[in-house]
Amino acid sequence: MAERQSPLEPEFHVGSHGNFEHGVEILLTETRPGSIVQLAAWPGEEKTLMAAIRAVTGLALPDGAGGGSSDGVKSVFGFAPGKFTVTDEAEGLASAFAKVVAPAMGTVTDLSHGRTAIRIAGPKAEWVLSKFFAIDFALPAFPVGAGRSTTHHDVFAQIQRTGTDQFDIYVFRSFARSFWKALCHASEEVGYEVQ
Amino acid sequence: MSPRRTDTGGHVDRLKTIRFTFDGVAYTGHGGDTLASALLANGVTLFGRSFKYHRPRGLLSAGVEEPNALVTVLKGEVREPNIPATMVEIHDGLIAVSQNRFPSLTWDIHAVNQLGGKLLSAGFYYKTFMGPVVGPLKGTRFWMFCEHFIRRAAGLGSAGSAKDPARYERMNAFCDVLVVGSGPAGLMAAKTAADQGARVILADLEPRFGGSANWSGETIDDASAADWVRRTVAQLEARDNVRLLPRTTVWGYYDNNTLAALERVSDHKAQPAKGEPRHRYWAIRAGSVVLATGAFERPLVFPGNDRPGVMLAHAAERYANEFGVLPGQRVVVFTNNDSAYRSALALKQAGAAIVAIVDVRPQPSAEMSALAGEAEAELLSGHAVVATEGGKALSGLKVQRFDMVAGALSGDARSVHADCLLMSGGWSPTIHLASQAGAKAEWNEALQAFLPPKRTQKWVGAGAFNGHFMTLEAILDGRNAGLTAVGATVAPMAYPHIESLPCDPRPAPVFEIKAKGKSFVDFQHDVTAEDVRLAHREGFVSVEHLKRYTTLGMATDQGKSSNVPGLAIMAEALGKPIPEVGTTRFRPPFAPVSIGSLAAERFGDLKPERLTPMHDWHVDNGATMYSAGLWYRPMIYGLSGETVEQAYVREAKATRENAGIVDVSTLGKIAVQGPDAAAFLDRVYTNMFSTLAVGKARYGLMLREDGFAFDDGTTWRLGDQDFLMTTTTANAGKVMQHLEYFLDVIWPELKAHVTSVTDEWAGAAIGGPKARQILAACVTGTDVDNATLPFMGIVHGEISGVPVMICRLSFSGEMAFEVYSGAGHGTHVWEALVEAGRPFGLVTYGLEALGTMRIEKGHVTGAEIDGRTTARDLHLDWMLSKKKPFIGSAMMDREGLVASERLELVGLIALDNRPLNGGAHIVEEVDEANPHGSIGHITACCYSPALGKHIALALVKGGKARHGTRAHVSDPLRNRFGPVEIVSNHFYDPEGTRMHG
Amino acid sequence: MLITCPYCGPRDVIEFTYQGDGNRERPDPASQNFEAWNAYVYDRLNPAGDHNEIWQHSGGCRVHLRVVRNTLTHEISNVAFVRGDHSSAARRKAEDKP
Ligand SMILES: [Zn+2]
Repeated sequence: MAERQSPLEPEFHVGSHGNFEHGVEILLTETRPGSIVQLAAWPGEEKTLMAAIRAVTGLALPDGAGGGSSDGVKSVFGFAPGKFTVTDEAEGLASAFAKVVAPAMGTVTDLSHGRTAIRIAGPKAEWVLSKFFAIDFALPAFPVGAGRSTTHHDVFAQIQRTGTDQFDIYVFRSFARSFWKALCHASEEVGYEVQ
Repeated sequence: MSPRRTDTGGHVDRLKTIRFTFDGVAYTGHGGDTLASALLANGVTLFGRSFKYHRPRGLLSAGVEEPNALVTVLKGEVREPNIPATMVEIHDGLIAVSQNRFPSLTWDIHAVNQLGGKLLSAGFYYKTFMGPVVGPLKGTRFWMFCEHFIRRAAGLGSAGSAKDPARYERMNAFCDVLVVGSGPAGLMAAKTAADQGARVILADLEPRFGGSANWSGETIDDASAADWVRRTVAQLEARDNVRLLPRTTVWGYYDNNTLAALERVSDHKAQPAKGEPRHRYWAIRAGSVVLATGAFERPLVFPGNDRPGVMLAHAAERYANEFGVLPGQRVVVFTNNDSAYRSALALKQAGAAIVAIVDVRPQPSAEMSALAGEAEAELLSGHAVVATEGGKALSGLKVQRFDMVAGALSGDARSVHADCLLMSGGWSPTIHLASQAGAKAEWNEALQAFLPPKRTQKWVGAGAFNGHFMTLEAILDGRNAGLTAVGATVAPMAYPHIESLPCDPRPAPVFEIKAKGKSFVDFQHDVTAEDVRLAHREGFVSVEHLKRYTTLGMATDQGKSSNVPGLAIMAEALGKPIPEVGTTRFRPPFAPVSIGSLAAERFGDLKPERLTPMHDWHVDNGATMYSAGLWYRPMIYGLSGETVEQAYVREAKATRENAGIVDVSTLGKIAVQGPDAAAFLDRVYTNMFSTLAVGKARYGLMLREDGFAFDDGTTWRLGDQDFLMTTTTANAGKVMQHLEYFLDVIWPELKAHVTSVTDEWAGAAIGGPKARQILAACVTGTDVDNATLPFMGIVHGEISGVPVMICRLSFSGEMAFEVYSGAGHGTHVWEALVEAGRPFGLVTYGLEALGTMRIEKGHVTGAEIDGRTTARDLHLDWMLSKKKPFIGSAMMDREGLVASERLELVGLIALDNRPLNGGAHIVEEVDEANPHGSIGHITACCYSPALGKHIALALVKGGKARHGTRAHVSDPLRNRFGPVEIVSNHFYDPEGTRMHG
Repeated sequence: MLITCPYCGPRDVIEFTYQGDGNRERPDPASQNFEAWNAYVYDRLNPAGDHNEIWQHSGGCRVHLRVVRNTLTHEISNVAFVRGDHSSAARRKAEDKP
């Protein structure tokens, strides 16, 4: 099958940029997962859905709002009551879930094309993200694995912390290039590298 | 070394020379200097002209409260006006100019204003411009003529009009404790809270932390206070739970302990570093706030108190001790309190001669007498300064015996030769932020000051802010505040050992010396003591009215220096004590805020843009892009030399003759899933969807709750419990919220989920007589013939190896198909379709041709579904099911919504064969001179290549009943009048034979 | 102004969309009682003081909330999911930091 086109392409410039002479403090990349799937449970079916997620991905979801986990290949996090975003490097996650999520449990929505995953990593990741989003990025308030839904002006974003200094941001594909440009612009101050 | 720079002392780096200009004259200063300290060191005394009278003004203060020495800083083409010279850190190449002078600072023609002082007294503007104009000038434009000159003469600096290329940013911050102010109290609070493990932000508006400790000359635990500061700051810097924000003014205290601050990141540099912003706007959410904002020294009000060379006592002390600059050689101190004695001694130690200390109190304490002796100053107790002399610099002053109880002067005035007069009228705690947070300030009789109001939000005060002016109190306060802020219990601490001069913080209640001459209360707005009394005589008795009538405490001053003296004079005039007069409520911002910082990243090309998957292809292939909301869509794909009209006519024609393809990815797309999805859609749409077969699509109409039309679009049934709804581009977000609201709030029992999948799918609509042949040539895995793919049918197949979903539906009126693929494959599929279409004469078309073909077909869009039209008005009543209730069904039959005189959708044909205009009115009879009698208006118009005529859609009273009749367009704004024929909105192929094939 | 979403925690008001008076009662869909419909569509309480309101966390989890807000002070005394069946999904206390 034809390769999926990245919405960032003309603005995706591999290399070091901005004030990097003193060292690069931000790494930016597009993770391009093969699958991005949204799962939503009917009220009372959250636990069964979480079990289904575990069965398909092997990832155990911690209880509580915004809980999540990641094994570097697959990731999952809650972003709203009874709703989860699940991603996988491989394609085909939506059909895998379609087999196990019965109509009585909830729904599966394939968003593999519709969301763009941007990873920001490095010691200044919290600093740069704080320029955009009015949420607390400090580790105790936003633990590794957890997810958050928030907005920067018109750009809706789901953010998962996938490392102490690493965040994966899922934005609507049509906004991705604009957001990417803004992210690069905001990272100039600390020096960044696009990988 | 410059004439007034001391050889030693202060925190300036004498080895580093910095070159800058002021009013075109080149000067040098040192590292650590402000523009004020550097100019003062160069012997400059004249910094600006006053607001109304254009009186010469020098430095009053050394900090943010400076009302006189406002300058404009030039950076390239950009001019930033009204910056206190005391807040400008000099750097190589700095260019600053003075303000409010014409033609020059030293020779100002408007200074004659002071000769006719009465003319510009309190309420001048109100009386002149709002009163009735009588006499010979009645009915003339005389006042407007005057206003031009008065506005030029009275004012602050002027802003430039060049585009500001600087970068501004916003930063969102969260902390347990925000400490505002970094004097001994703030530093101690920050350190204590940080030691408890709290996340701390420490902000100070100065470049250097430490506040008064940097220049007080005191010692803390046997080290100089300045060293104690350095050590404490180093400890804070080493902690990873502390963020230090120098040059950061916390200017607003809002609900929920949200504070706004402005960090001047790179103003002090010749060039910002790469990517570094000029200003950063901090939005800080703090668990609690420690207000350690200190206090402002107050001026005394006496004739000539505004002459250059008259300065606040502690400002002079700071210039000497922090910057190594002597504001004068022969100094007189004028005070109503003890604190100025320390200033006198500091200046003496720095090398000045203290000629006299004039104290309004009859008998200062023995300790003060001793200090005066140490300063070798003559102590004139029970005296007051009654006049100052000199022009652009002070040359002398007059002193007279003063009885502070009676407020009376007696005896002969004595002249004293001096080039610098230091004054101290007591201290006002800087309670602005606490006042913004709510509640009224409380008057303290002993301190003759307003103390912080009761807490209405989570803050703790410390130090001079609390009226605790001694360093020992500040440190104890700071520690307690730090503990309280983190919720720890306050335990006693070992007292630090402080060496400081004796000082009783209670001033004498003397604010004004009444003598002949102008005594200024508000230096920035030229408000005199007499203006305040005049306002009282004219009946302004409330402080809020006083402020607005006299402009006392307005502009950048915001009452920092003028508030209490003004109130005291008002209280005296009213014969009431100060607390009964009250004080004005402080409002944000505490100090001026750059507009750029508020806009931050939201300017220019950083407004988010929404791009379809095929965006780059469109641009590469000659499309002129058009912004529709946040989306960018092709308007036309123009050939060289084509006008817009030629291009869309060509595109529409070719589509109707052969085939055309258009990007429809922007249509809103919502997945509606779940066992109750069909039942939900039946309630949302006016027509039935539960009866729709899997693999089929249906056109649907939604109403609002009030019965008016809301949105339309097709919805595809992809599975038994799986629908794909499409909405108009403009309403996608609103429809999504509408659906979510009903599922969450009204019908929580329905098992249906809605998800925005607009961005999941790329959409291409391909239409025209040859559209099916083109599809047949490139689609694999399914047939596209009439049997397999009937009107409103859906098939799944592949194009060039990627999966697609094809629905046969038509907006253009031609045989047409919408081809959906995963967004990441959008360009791939689009290119394959364009390639397959080449032998068939396929054209790409944009919004203009799309709009033209929809007008020819009479389809409605947002221009007609404008929130005021009903389904009946748009001839969509055939879609209103009678078998079920739906949103809006109960309200849609209201009297006014079914009236016969409503505006209804019609078509118009221009009978004079000239273009029509959107928004033009329709009338029965043309009256060009006096346009009237509108029966409706045009919503959309175009030249129709299919009809060869200029046509339009319109909403016209009575609508259908007028088909076949004549009317006129009346468009006086564009001077377009002419006859039209009213016809059905279905201009082209009304039977739909073309799309059914 | 901050609204503490039971799922997402305290967020700035710009992440939320006001969705109207929370006291409205929608008549039965089949009801022909025009007075009741009219009251539902047009009548609003507009109190000076505590007001029951519906807000959607449109810039976050997109859930609808019942918010009791004082129209004089903006003070918010209560926030809850409109849907009772979401309550199990509320935020854990440990994460409930500002
Ligand atoms: Zn939320």
